[in-house]
Amino acid sequence: MQALRSYRLLVTWQALRKKAYLPLMMAVQTLFSLGIVLGYPLLFPSLDRVTIYLIATGAPAISMVSVGLVALPQTVGEAKTEGSLAYMRSLPVPRLAYLVADLTVWLAIVVPGVVLGVLVGAWRFGLDLQVSPLVVPAVLMVALTATCVGYALASVLPYMLTVIITQALVVFVFMFSPLTFLPEKLPAWLETIHRLLPIQAMGEVTRGTIAPNEFPLPPGAFLTLAVWCVLGFAVTYAAMTRRA
Amino acid sequence: MLLEIENLTKVYRTGVRANGGIDLSIESGEVFGLLGHNGAGKTTLVNQVVGLLKPTAGSIRIDGADMVADPGLARRLCSFQAQSQVPIDGLTPRQAVELVGQLRGASKADVRRRRARLVDALELGEWLDIDAARLSGGVKRLVAFAMAAVAPGRLVMLDEPTNDVDPVRRRLLWQQVRALADEGAAVLLVTHNVVEAERSVDRLAILDGGLVIAGGTPAELKAGLGAELRLELVIDPQAPELPVSPFGRPVVPVGNRLMVGLPTDAAGPAVAWAESLQRAGTVEEFTLGPATLEDVYVALVGGLEVRPTEMEESFDASAA
Repeated sequence: MQALRSYRLLVTWQALRKKAYLPLMMAVQTLFSLGIVLGYPLLFPSLDRVTIYLIATGAPAISMVSVGLVALPQTVGEAKTEGSLAYMRSLPVPRLAYLVADLTVWLAIVVPGVVLGVLVGAWRFGLDLQVSPLVVPAVLMVALTATCVGYALASVLPYMLTVIITQALVVFVFMFSPLTFLPEKLPAWLETIHRLLPIQAMGEVTRGTIAPNEFPLPPGAFLTLAVWCVLGFAVTYAAMTRRA
Repeated sequence: MLLEIENLTKVYRTGVRANGGIDLSIESGEVFGLLGHNGAGKTTLVNQVVGLLKPTAGSIRIDGADMVADPGLARRLCSFQAQSQVPIDGLTPRQAVELVGQLRGASKADVRRRRARLVDALELGEWLDIDAARLSGGVKRLVAFAMAAVAPGRLVMLDEPTNDVDPVRRRLLWQQVRALADEGAAVLLVTHNVVEAERSVDRLAILDGGLVIAGGTPAELKAGLGAELRLELVIDPQAPELPVSPFGRPVVPVGNRLMVGLPTDAAGPAVAWAESLQRAGTVEEFTLGPATLEDVYVALVGGLEVRPTEMEESFDASAA
Protein backbone atom coordinates (compact mmCIF):
# COMPACT_ATOMS: atom_id res chain seq x y z
CA MET A 1 0.00 0.00 0.00
CA GLN A 2 2.79 2.36 1.06
CA ALA A 3 4.82 1.23 -1.96
CA LEU A 4 1.87 1.93 -4.26
CA ARG A 5 1.41 5.41 -2.81
CA SER A 6 5.14 6.09 -3.22
CA TYR A 7 4.95 4.81 -6.78
CA ARG A 8 2.10 7.15 -7.66
CA LEU A 9 3.84 10.17 -6.10
CA LEU A 10 7.14 9.33 -7.78
CA VAL A 11 5.55 9.00 -11.22
CA THR A 12 4.08 12.48 -10.65
CA TRP A 13 7.51 13.74 -9.50
CA GLN A 14 9.40 12.27 -12.47
CA ALA A 15 6.79 13.29 -15.05
CA LEU A 16 6.73 16.87 -13.71
CA ARG A 17 10.53 17.03 -13.68
CA LYS A 18 10.72 15.79 -17.27
CA LYS A 19 7.72 17.73 -18.50
CA ALA A 20 9.75 20.49 -20.16
CA TYR A 21 11.51 18.10 -22.50
CA LEU A 22 9.09 15.18 -22.41
CA PRO A 23 7.16 16.23 -25.54
CA LEU A 24 10.46 16.96 -27.28
CA MET A 25 11.80 13.53 -26.42
CA MET A 26 8.62 11.87 -27.61
CA ALA A 27 8.81 13.86 -30.83
CA VAL A 28 12.47 13.01 -31.43
CA GLN A 29 12.00 9.31 -30.93
CA THR A 30 8.85 9.35 -33.08
CA LEU A 31 11.03 10.95 -35.74
CA PHE A 32 13.37 7.96 -35.44
CA SER A 33 10.54 5.70 -36.61
CA LEU A 34 9.36 8.12 -39.26
CA GLY A 35 12.87 8.79 -40.49
CA ILE A 36 13.49 5.12 -41.11
CA VAL A 37 10.12 4.47 -42.73
CA LEU A 38 10.30 7.52 -44.98
CA GLY A 39 14.08 7.64 -45.45
CA TYR A 40 14.98 4.08 -46.48
CA PRO A 41 12.95 4.19 -49.71
CA LEU A 42 14.95 7.29 -50.69
CA LEU A 43 18.21 5.37 -50.26
CA PHE A 44 16.91 2.25 -51.98
CA PRO A 45 14.19 3.17 -54.48
CA SER A 46 13.25 -0.41 -55.34
CA LEU A 47 12.57 -2.48 -52.24
CA ASP A 48 11.36 -6.07 -52.26
CA ARG A 49 8.40 -7.16 -50.22
CA VAL A 50 10.37 -8.69 -47.31
CA THR A 51 12.57 -5.60 -47.00
CA ILE A 52 9.51 -3.36 -46.91
CA TYR A 53 8.03 -5.39 -44.06
CA LEU A 54 11.40 -5.42 -42.29
CA ILE A 55 11.63 -1.64 -42.48
CA ALA A 56 8.04 -1.07 -41.37
CA THR A 57 8.46 -3.36 -38.34
CA GLY A 58 12.12 -2.51 -37.66
CA ALA A 59 11.49 1.21 -37.31
CA PRO A 60 9.47 0.94 -34.08
CA ALA A 61 12.00 -1.55 -32.72
CA ILE A 62 14.87 0.85 -33.45
CA SER A 63 13.05 3.70 -31.76
CA MET A 64 12.48 1.61 -28.61
CA VAL A 65 16.07 0.39 -28.53
CA SER A 66 17.52 3.84 -29.13
CA VAL A 67 15.47 5.43 -26.34
CA GLY A 68 16.32 2.62 -23.94
CA LEU A 69 19.98 2.26 -24.75
CA VAL A 70 20.87 5.84 -25.72
CA ALA A 71 18.51 8.56 -24.49
CA LEU A 72 17.74 6.90 -21.16
CA PRO A 73 21.30 6.15 -20.01
CA GLN A 74 22.33 9.70 -20.85
CA THR A 75 19.42 11.19 -18.91
CA VAL A 76 19.86 8.83 -15.96
CA GLY A 77 23.60 9.55 -15.96
CA GLU A 78 22.82 13.26 -15.79
CA ALA A 79 20.37 12.70 -12.93
CA LYS A 80 23.08 10.77 -11.12
CA THR A 81 25.54 13.63 -11.62
CA GLU A 82 23.14 16.32 -10.40
CA GLY A 83 22.37 14.29 -7.26
CA SER A 84 18.75 13.32 -8.06
CA LEU A 85 19.42 9.70 -7.29
CA ALA A 86 21.16 10.50 -4.01
CA TYR A 87 18.30 12.77 -2.99
CA MET A 88 15.69 10.14 -3.73
CA ARG A 89 17.79 7.63 -1.83
CA SER A 90 17.62 9.86 1.26
CA LEU A 91 13.79 9.68 1.27
CA PRO A 92 11.84 6.87 2.93
CA VAL A 93 10.77 5.47 -0.43
CA PRO A 94 11.10 1.82 -1.49
CA ARG A 95 13.91 1.63 -4.05
CA LEU A 96 11.73 -0.59 -6.16
CA ALA A 97 8.97 2.05 -6.29
CA TYR A 98 11.48 4.64 -7.49
CA LEU A 99 12.88 2.42 -10.21
CA VAL A 100 9.48 1.22 -11.41
CA ALA A 101 8.13 4.80 -11.40
CA ASP A 102 11.03 5.98 -13.54
CA LEU A 103 10.59 3.06 -15.93
CA THR A 104 6.87 3.90 -16.21
CA VAL A 105 7.67 7.43 -17.33
CA TRP A 106 10.16 6.09 -19.87
CA LEU A 107 7.63 3.62 -21.25
CA ALA A 108 5.19 6.50 -21.67
CA ILE A 109 7.86 8.29 -23.71
CA VAL A 110 8.51 5.25 -25.93
CA VAL A 111 5.07 3.86 -26.72
CA PRO A 112 3.49 6.71 -28.74
CA GLY A 113 6.42 6.70 -31.17
CA VAL A 114 6.05 2.97 -31.66
CA VAL A 115 2.35 3.22 -32.48
CA LEU A 116 2.85 6.16 -34.81
CA GLY A 117 5.81 4.46 -36.49
CA VAL A 118 3.77 1.34 -37.25
CA LEU A 119 0.83 3.36 -38.59
CA VAL A 120 3.00 5.54 -40.83
CA GLY A 121 4.89 2.48 -42.09
CA ALA A 122 1.68 0.71 -42.99
CA TRP A 123 0.38 3.84 -44.75
CA ARG A 124 3.63 4.63 -46.60
CA PHE A 125 4.03 1.13 -48.01
CA GLY A 126 0.32 0.35 -48.26
CA LEU A 127 0.69 -2.66 -45.98
CA ASP A 128 -2.23 -4.64 -44.64
CA LEU A 129 -0.77 -5.63 -41.26
CA GLN A 130 -2.47 -8.48 -39.42
CA VAL A 131 -1.24 -7.31 -36.00
CA SER A 132 -1.23 -10.04 -33.36
CA PRO A 133 -2.74 -9.37 -29.91
CA LEU A 134 0.66 -10.38 -28.59
CA VAL A 135 1.90 -7.01 -29.81
CA VAL A 136 0.98 -5.42 -26.47
CA PRO A 137 3.16 -7.67 -24.28
CA ALA A 138 5.79 -7.64 -27.04
CA VAL A 139 6.11 -3.86 -27.15
CA LEU A 140 6.06 -3.63 -23.35
CA MET A 141 8.70 -6.35 -23.07
CA VAL A 142 10.99 -4.79 -25.67
CA ALA A 143 10.64 -1.31 -24.20
CA LEU A 144 11.09 -2.61 -20.65
CA THR A 145 14.16 -4.66 -21.54
CA ALA A 146 15.74 -1.76 -23.42
CA THR A 147 15.07 0.64 -20.54
CA CYS A 148 16.28 -1.85 -17.89
CA VAL A 149 19.52 -2.57 -19.74
CA GLY A 150 20.01 1.17 -20.39
CA TYR A 151 19.35 1.92 -16.73
CA ALA A 152 21.89 -0.69 -15.67
CA LEU A 153 24.51 0.88 -17.96
CA ALA A 154 23.96 4.32 -16.45
CA SER A 155 23.86 2.97 -12.89
CA VAL A 156 27.15 1.15 -13.12
CA LEU A 157 29.26 3.38 -15.37
CA PRO A 158 30.58 6.89 -14.72
CA TYR A 159 28.64 9.55 -16.62
CA MET A 160 31.24 10.37 -19.28
CA LEU A 161 31.77 6.71 -20.09
CA THR A 162 27.99 6.27 -20.36
CA VAL A 163 27.85 9.09 -22.90
CA ILE A 164 30.68 7.63 -24.99
CA ILE A 165 29.30 4.09 -24.94
CA THR A 166 25.79 5.20 -25.85
CA GLN A 167 27.17 7.18 -28.81
CA ALA A 168 28.84 4.01 -30.04
CA LEU A 169 25.62 2.10 -29.45
CA VAL A 170 23.76 4.43 -31.83
CA VAL A 171 25.89 3.24 -34.74
CA PHE A 172 25.77 -0.36 -33.58
CA VAL A 173 21.97 -0.35 -33.25
CA PHE A 174 21.28 1.45 -36.54
CA MET A 175 23.82 -0.18 -38.82
CA PHE A 176 24.91 -3.49 -37.35
CA SER A 177 21.90 -4.87 -35.52
CA PRO A 178 19.34 -7.13 -37.21
CA LEU A 179 16.35 -4.86 -36.75
CA THR A 180 15.68 -3.65 -40.31
CA PHE A 181 17.39 -6.67 -41.87
CA LEU A 182 17.58 -10.38 -41.06
CA PRO A 183 20.51 -11.71 -38.98
CA GLU A 184 21.67 -13.94 -41.88
CA LYS A 185 23.01 -10.81 -43.60
CA LEU A 186 25.57 -10.28 -40.85
CA PRO A 187 29.07 -11.78 -40.85
CA ALA A 188 29.06 -15.05 -38.92
CA TRP A 189 30.94 -13.68 -35.89
CA LEU A 190 28.56 -10.76 -35.50
CA GLU A 191 25.61 -13.07 -35.95
CA THR A 192 26.94 -15.14 -33.04
CA ILE A 193 27.32 -12.05 -30.87
CA HIS A 194 23.77 -10.98 -31.68
CA ARG A 195 22.47 -14.39 -30.66
CA LEU A 196 23.63 -13.53 -27.13
CA LEU A 197 22.65 -9.84 -27.05
CA PRO A 198 19.03 -8.77 -26.57
CA ILE A 199 18.76 -6.53 -29.67
CA GLN A 200 18.07 -9.33 -32.14
CA ALA A 201 15.33 -10.74 -29.91
CA MET A 202 13.82 -7.24 -29.70
CA GLY A 203 13.58 -7.14 -33.49
CA GLU A 204 12.17 -10.68 -33.71
CA VAL A 205 9.50 -10.05 -31.09
CA THR A 206 8.49 -6.73 -32.65
CA ARG A 207 8.16 -7.96 -36.25
CA GLY A 208 6.77 -11.34 -35.18
CA THR A 209 3.80 -9.62 -33.51
CA ILE A 210 3.28 -6.62 -35.83
CA ALA A 211 3.48 -8.73 -39.01
CA PRO A 212 3.00 -12.33 -37.81
CA ASN A 213 2.01 -13.47 -41.31
CA GLU A 214 5.40 -12.44 -42.69
CA PHE A 215 7.70 -13.32 -39.80
CA PRO A 216 7.32 -16.29 -37.47
CA LEU A 217 7.92 -15.53 -33.82
CA PRO A 218 11.00 -17.52 -32.72
CA PRO A 219 10.06 -19.50 -29.60
CA GLY A 220 13.06 -18.40 -27.53
CA ALA A 221 12.88 -14.67 -28.25
CA PHE A 222 10.63 -13.72 -25.35
CA LEU A 223 12.78 -15.81 -23.03
CA THR A 224 15.97 -14.05 -24.19
CA LEU A 225 14.31 -10.70 -23.51
CA ALA A 226 13.08 -11.85 -20.10
CA VAL A 227 16.61 -12.90 -19.12
CA TRP A 228 18.10 -9.54 -20.19
CA CYS A 229 15.25 -7.64 -18.58
CA VAL A 230 15.74 -9.36 -15.23
CA LEU A 231 19.50 -8.97 -15.50
CA GLY A 232 19.25 -5.22 -16.26
CA PHE A 233 16.75 -4.74 -13.46
CA ALA A 234 18.84 -6.68 -10.95
CA VAL A 235 22.03 -4.77 -11.76
CA THR A 236 20.20 -1.44 -11.51
CA TYR A 237 18.49 -2.40 -8.28
CA ALA A 238 21.77 -3.57 -6.76
CA ALA A 239 23.52 -0.33 -7.77
CA MET A 240 20.65 1.68 -6.34
CA THR A 241 20.53 -0.04 -2.96
CA ARG A 242 24.28 -0.28 -2.47
CA ARG A 243 25.73 1.76 0.39
CA ALA A 244 29.28 2.87 -0.39
CA MET B 1 19.24 10.72 24.05
CA LEU B 2 17.53 10.57 20.69
CA LEU B 3 20.61 10.18 18.50
CA GLU B 4 23.60 8.29 19.85
CA ILE B 5 26.72 7.89 17.76
CA GLU B 6 29.60 5.84 19.11
CA ASN B 7 33.06 5.36 17.67
CA LEU B 8 31.79 6.16 14.17
CA THR B 9 34.54 5.49 11.65
CA LYS B 10 34.50 5.77 7.89
CA VAL B 11 37.44 4.79 5.73
CA TYR B 12 36.72 5.01 2.00
CA ARG B 13 37.94 2.36 -0.36
CA THR B 14 40.56 4.83 -1.57
CA GLY B 15 42.04 4.68 1.93
CA VAL B 16 40.86 8.17 2.90
CA ARG B 17 39.76 8.25 6.53
CA ALA B 18 36.81 10.67 6.70
CA ASN B 19 35.65 9.92 10.26
CA GLY B 20 38.01 8.51 12.84
CA GLY B 21 35.94 7.37 15.83
CA ILE B 22 33.27 9.99 16.49
CA ASP B 23 31.12 10.00 19.64
CA LEU B 24 28.07 12.28 19.66
CA SER B 25 24.64 12.37 21.24
CA ILE B 26 21.72 14.69 20.59
CA GLU B 27 18.54 15.12 22.60
CA SER B 28 15.02 15.80 21.31
CA GLY B 29 14.28 19.52 21.25
CA GLU B 30 17.93 20.37 20.85
CA VAL B 31 19.70 22.20 18.03
CA PHE B 32 23.14 20.63 17.80
CA GLY B 33 25.85 22.18 15.64
CA LEU B 34 28.56 20.26 13.88
CA LEU B 35 31.34 22.66 12.96
CA GLY B 36 34.39 22.11 10.86
CA HIS B 37 36.23 22.98 7.70
CA ASN B 38 35.47 21.56 4.31
CA GLY B 39 36.79 18.03 4.47
CA ALA B 40 36.49 17.78 8.25
CA GLY B 41 34.15 14.81 7.88
CA LYS B 42 30.80 16.52 8.56
CA THR B 43 28.98 15.49 5.40
CA THR B 44 30.32 11.94 5.65
CA LEU B 45 28.85 11.76 9.13
CA VAL B 46 25.33 12.85 8.11
CA ASN B 47 25.40 10.60 5.04
CA GLN B 48 26.10 7.68 7.35
CA VAL B 49 23.22 8.58 9.66
CA VAL B 50 20.75 8.72 6.78
CA GLY B 51 22.06 5.44 5.37
CA LEU B 52 23.68 6.70 2.16
CA LEU B 53 27.09 5.53 3.38
CA LYS B 54 27.93 2.49 5.43
CA PRO B 55 30.22 3.07 8.42
CA THR B 56 33.46 1.11 8.53
CA ALA B 57 33.00 0.76 12.29
CA GLY B 58 30.91 2.14 15.13
CA SER B 59 27.22 2.49 15.83
CA ILE B 60 24.41 4.95 15.10
CA ARG B 61 21.24 4.65 17.20
CA ILE B 62 18.03 6.62 17.10
CA ASP B 63 15.73 5.95 20.06
CA GLY B 64 17.88 2.90 20.72
CA ALA B 65 17.30 1.37 17.26
CA ASP B 66 20.31 0.42 15.14
CA MET B 67 20.40 2.65 12.05
CA VAL B 68 23.35 0.90 10.43
CA ALA B 69 21.42 -2.37 10.36
CA ASP B 70 18.18 -0.74 9.21
CA PRO B 71 18.85 2.17 6.85
CA GLY B 72 15.19 2.09 5.78
CA LEU B 73 14.16 3.00 9.32
CA ALA B 74 16.86 5.68 9.38
CA ARG B 75 15.26 7.36 6.37
CA ARG B 76 11.83 7.28 8.00
CA LEU B 77 13.16 8.78 11.23
CA CYS B 78 15.46 11.39 9.67
CA SER B 79 14.68 14.17 7.27
CA PHE B 80 17.65 15.56 5.51
CA GLN B 81 18.70 18.68 3.62
CA ALA B 82 21.84 17.83 1.68
CA GLN B 83 24.70 20.24 1.13
CA SER B 84 24.26 20.19 -2.65
CA GLN B 85 21.33 21.94 -4.29
CA VAL B 86 18.30 19.71 -4.38
CA PRO B 87 17.50 18.77 -8.00
CA ILE B 88 13.96 20.00 -8.48
CA ASP B 89 14.09 21.79 -11.86
CA GLY B 90 10.75 21.27 -13.55
CA LEU B 91 8.86 21.31 -10.26
CA THR B 92 7.48 24.39 -8.53
CA PRO B 93 8.28 24.90 -4.84
CA ARG B 94 4.65 24.03 -4.05
CA GLN B 95 4.88 20.73 -5.94
CA ALA B 96 8.33 19.84 -4.60
CA VAL B 97 7.49 20.50 -0.95
CA GLU B 98 4.07 18.82 -1.06
CA LEU B 99 5.26 15.75 -2.97
CA VAL B 100 8.19 15.23 -0.60
CA GLY B 101 5.91 15.68 2.42
CA GLN B 102 3.64 12.95 1.09
CA LEU B 103 6.59 10.74 0.13
CA ARG B 104 7.69 11.07 3.76
CA GLY B 105 4.36 9.58 4.73
CA ALA B 106 2.33 12.61 5.85
CA SER B 107 -1.29 13.07 4.74
CA LYS B 108 -2.10 15.47 1.94
CA ALA B 109 -4.03 17.80 4.27
CA ASP B 110 -1.20 17.93 6.85
CA VAL B 111 1.35 18.54 4.15
CA ARG B 112 -0.65 21.42 2.69
CA ARG B 113 -1.08 23.03 6.07
CA ARG B 114 2.60 22.78 6.96
CA ARG B 115 3.72 23.84 3.50
CA ALA B 116 1.56 26.98 3.76
CA ARG B 117 3.00 27.77 7.19
CA LEU B 118 6.61 27.30 6.04
CA VAL B 119 6.12 29.33 2.87
CA ASP B 120 4.67 32.18 4.96
CA ALA B 121 7.38 31.96 7.59
CA LEU B 122 10.19 31.97 5.01
CA GLU B 123 8.43 34.56 2.83
CA LEU B 124 8.54 32.33 -0.25
CA GLY B 125 5.01 33.14 -1.45
CA GLU B 126 6.02 35.00 -4.59
CA TRP B 127 7.94 31.97 -5.91
CA LEU B 128 5.44 29.31 -4.88
CA ASP B 129 4.29 28.44 -8.39
CA ILE B 130 7.42 29.23 -10.41
CA ASP B 131 9.48 26.47 -12.01
CA ALA B 132 12.50 25.83 -9.79
CA ALA B 133 14.75 26.09 -12.85
CA ARG B 134 14.09 29.85 -12.73
CA LEU B 135 14.75 30.32 -9.01
CA SER B 136 17.91 31.80 -7.51
CA GLY B 137 20.28 29.59 -5.54
CA GLY B 138 19.19 31.12 -2.23
CA VAL B 139 15.49 30.56 -2.87
CA LYS B 140 16.20 26.97 -3.92
CA ARG B 141 18.07 26.45 -0.64
CA LEU B 142 15.03 27.69 1.28
CA VAL B 143 12.77 25.39 -0.72
CA ALA B 144 15.12 22.52 0.10
CA PHE B 145 14.84 23.44 3.77
CA ALA B 146 11.03 23.46 3.49
CA MET B 147 11.25 20.01 1.88
CA ALA B 148 13.18 18.75 4.91
CA ALA B 149 10.87 20.50 7.40
CA VAL B 150 7.44 19.82 5.88
CA ALA B 151 7.14 16.34 7.39
CA PRO B 152 10.15 16.28 9.71
CA GLY B 153 11.44 13.07 11.20
CA ARG B 154 12.52 12.68 14.82
CA LEU B 155 15.90 13.90 13.64
CA VAL B 156 16.28 16.72 11.12
CA MET B 157 19.73 17.05 9.56
CA LEU B 158 20.58 20.28 7.77
CA ASP B 159 23.86 20.45 5.86
CA GLU B 160 24.83 24.11 5.34
CA PRO B 161 21.20 25.29 5.11
CA THR B 162 22.04 29.01 4.87
CA ASN B 163 24.43 28.85 1.90
CA ASP B 164 23.40 31.44 -0.72
CA VAL B 165 20.51 32.69 1.44
CA ASP B 166 20.15 36.46 1.92
CA PRO B 167 20.68 37.92 5.43
CA VAL B 168 17.00 38.69 6.07
CA ARG B 169 15.78 35.24 5.12
CA ARG B 170 18.65 33.65 7.05
CA ARG B 171 17.05 34.99 10.20
CA LEU B 172 13.68 33.61 9.16
CA LEU B 173 15.36 30.29 8.45
CA TRP B 174 16.99 30.18 11.90
CA GLN B 175 13.59 30.84 13.49
CA GLN B 176 12.21 27.84 11.64
CA VAL B 177 15.17 25.69 12.67
CA ARG B 178 14.40 26.58 16.28
CA ALA B 179 10.69 25.90 15.68
CA LEU B 180 11.56 22.36 14.54
CA ALA B 181 13.37 21.74 17.82
CA ASP B 182 10.53 23.32 19.81
CA GLU B 183 8.14 20.87 18.17
CA GLY B 184 10.28 18.05 19.56
CA ALA B 185 12.70 17.15 16.77
CA ALA B 186 16.41 16.88 17.33
CA VAL B 187 18.17 19.13 14.83
CA LEU B 188 21.67 18.35 13.62
CA LEU B 189 23.06 21.42 11.93
CA VAL B 190 26.17 21.05 9.83
CA THR B 191 28.00 24.25 9.07
CA HIS B 192 31.33 25.94 8.76
CA ASN B 193 29.74 29.28 9.58
CA VAL B 194 30.83 29.70 13.19
CA VAL B 195 29.21 33.05 13.79
CA GLU B 196 25.77 31.84 12.80
CA ALA B 197 26.22 28.64 14.74
CA GLU B 198 27.01 30.54 17.93
CA ARG B 199 23.64 32.28 17.76
CA SER B 200 21.62 29.26 16.77
CA VAL B 201 22.79 26.10 18.49
CA ASP B 202 22.29 24.74 22.00
CA ARG B 203 25.37 22.54 21.90
CA LEU B 204 28.00 21.83 19.30
CA ALA B 205 30.94 19.71 18.41
CA ILE B 206 33.96 20.87 16.46
CA LEU B 207 35.20 18.37 13.94
CA ASP B 208 38.71 18.39 12.52
CA GLY B 209 40.38 15.69 10.48
CA GLY B 210 37.44 13.35 11.11
CA LEU B 211 37.64 13.67 14.90
CA VAL B 212 35.61 15.59 17.50
CA ILE B 213 38.22 17.93 18.97
CA ALA B 214 35.86 19.86 21.27
CA GLY B 215 32.23 19.81 22.36
CA GLY B 216 29.78 21.56 24.66
CA THR B 217 27.59 24.65 24.78
CA PRO B 218 28.99 27.82 23.18
CA ALA B 219 29.47 29.26 26.71
CA GLU B 220 31.37 26.18 27.92
CA LEU B 221 33.64 26.25 24.91
CA LYS B 222 34.36 29.95 25.33
CA ALA B 223 35.13 29.42 29.03
CA GLY B 224 37.61 26.75 27.99
CA LEU B 225 39.46 29.29 25.88
CA GLY B 226 40.59 31.09 29.05
CA ALA B 227 40.16 34.51 27.45
CA GLU B 228 37.09 36.64 27.96
CA LEU B 229 38.10 39.31 25.45
CA ARG B 230 39.51 39.27 21.97
CA LEU B 231 41.66 41.96 20.42
CA GLU B 232 41.59 41.86 16.67
CA LEU B 233 44.44 43.59 14.86
CA VAL B 234 44.40 44.29 11.14
CA ILE B 235 48.05 44.03 10.14
CA ASP B 236 49.56 46.40 7.57
CA PRO B 237 50.61 44.12 4.70
CA GLN B 238 53.87 46.11 4.45
CA ALA B 239 54.73 45.53 8.12
CA PRO B 240 58.14 43.82 8.38
CA GLU B 241 57.12 41.41 11.15
CA LEU B 242 54.10 40.36 13.19
CA PRO B 243 53.73 42.08 16.59
CA VAL B 244 54.40 39.92 19.65
CA SER B 245 51.64 39.97 22.28
CA PRO B 246 52.81 41.01 25.74
CA PHE B 247 49.82 39.18 27.27
CA GLY B 248 51.02 35.64 26.74
CA ARG B 249 47.60 34.57 25.47
CA PRO B 250 46.76 32.72 22.26
CA VAL B 251 47.70 34.78 19.23
CA VAL B 252 46.27 33.38 16.03
CA PRO B 253 46.83 34.82 12.56
CA VAL B 254 43.82 34.71 10.23
CA GLY B 255 44.65 36.12 6.82
CA ASN B 256 45.91 39.67 7.49
CA ARG B 257 44.32 39.71 10.95
CA LEU B 258 45.74 38.76 14.30
CA MET B 259 43.45 37.52 17.06
CA VAL B 260 44.75 38.05 20.60
CA GLY B 261 42.96 36.50 23.57
CA LEU B 262 42.83 38.60 26.76
CA PRO B 263 41.52 38.47 30.31
CA THR B 264 38.98 41.21 31.13
CA ASP B 265 41.40 43.21 33.32
CA ALA B 266 43.86 43.55 30.43
CA ALA B 267 41.45 45.67 28.38
CA GLY B 268 43.17 48.99 29.16
CA PRO B 269 46.78 47.90 28.53
CA ALA B 270 45.66 46.04 25.40
CA VAL B 271 44.10 49.14 23.87
CA ALA B 272 47.25 51.14 24.72
CA TRP B 273 49.41 48.42 23.10
CA ALA B 274 47.24 48.37 19.98
CA GLU B 275 47.33 52.15 19.70
CA SER B 276 51.12 52.11 19.87
CA LEU B 277 51.21 49.52 17.08
CA GLN B 278 48.86 51.68 15.04
CA ARG B 279 51.07 54.72 15.53
CA ALA B 280 54.10 52.67 14.48
CA GLY B 281 52.24 51.66 11.33
CA THR B 282 52.34 47.93 12.05
CA VAL B 283 48.59 47.79 12.56
CA GLU B 284 46.02 49.51 10.36
CA GLU B 285 43.11 49.22 12.78
CA PHE B 286 41.95 47.21 15.75
CA THR B 287 38.80 46.21 17.60
CA LEU B 288 38.32 44.95 21.15
CA GLY B 289 35.28 42.86 22.03
CA PRO B 290 34.10 39.83 23.94
CA ALA B 291 35.59 36.50 22.85
CA THR B 292 33.36 34.59 20.46
CA LEU B 293 32.92 31.00 19.45
CA GLU B 294 34.94 31.88 16.41
CA ASP B 295 37.95 32.56 18.63
CA VAL B 296 37.51 29.15 20.19
CA TYR B 297 37.23 27.61 16.77
CA VAL B 298 40.28 29.43 15.45
CA ALA B 299 42.31 28.58 18.54
CA LEU B 300 41.37 24.90 18.28
CA VAL B 301 41.50 24.35 14.55
CA GLY B 302 44.22 26.95 13.97
CA GLY B 303 46.36 27.37 10.91
CA LEU B 304 43.72 29.31 9.06
CA GLU B 305 46.10 31.34 6.95
CA VAL B 306 45.91 28.65 4.34
CA ARG B 307 42.10 28.61 4.35
CA PRO B 308 41.02 32.21 4.79
CA THR B 309 37.86 32.14 2.65
CA GLU B 310 35.72 30.36 5.21
CA MET B 311 36.60 32.83 7.88
CA GLU B 312 35.86 35.66 5.46
CA GLU B 313 32.38 34.20 5.18
CA SER B 314 32.07 34.15 8.94
CA PHE B 315 33.11 37.77 9.16
CA ASP B 316 30.70 38.73 6.39
CA ALA B 317 27.89 36.99 8.20
CA SER B 318 28.71 38.73 11.45
CA ALA B 319 28.73 42.06 9.64
CA ALA B 320 25.30 41.23 8.18
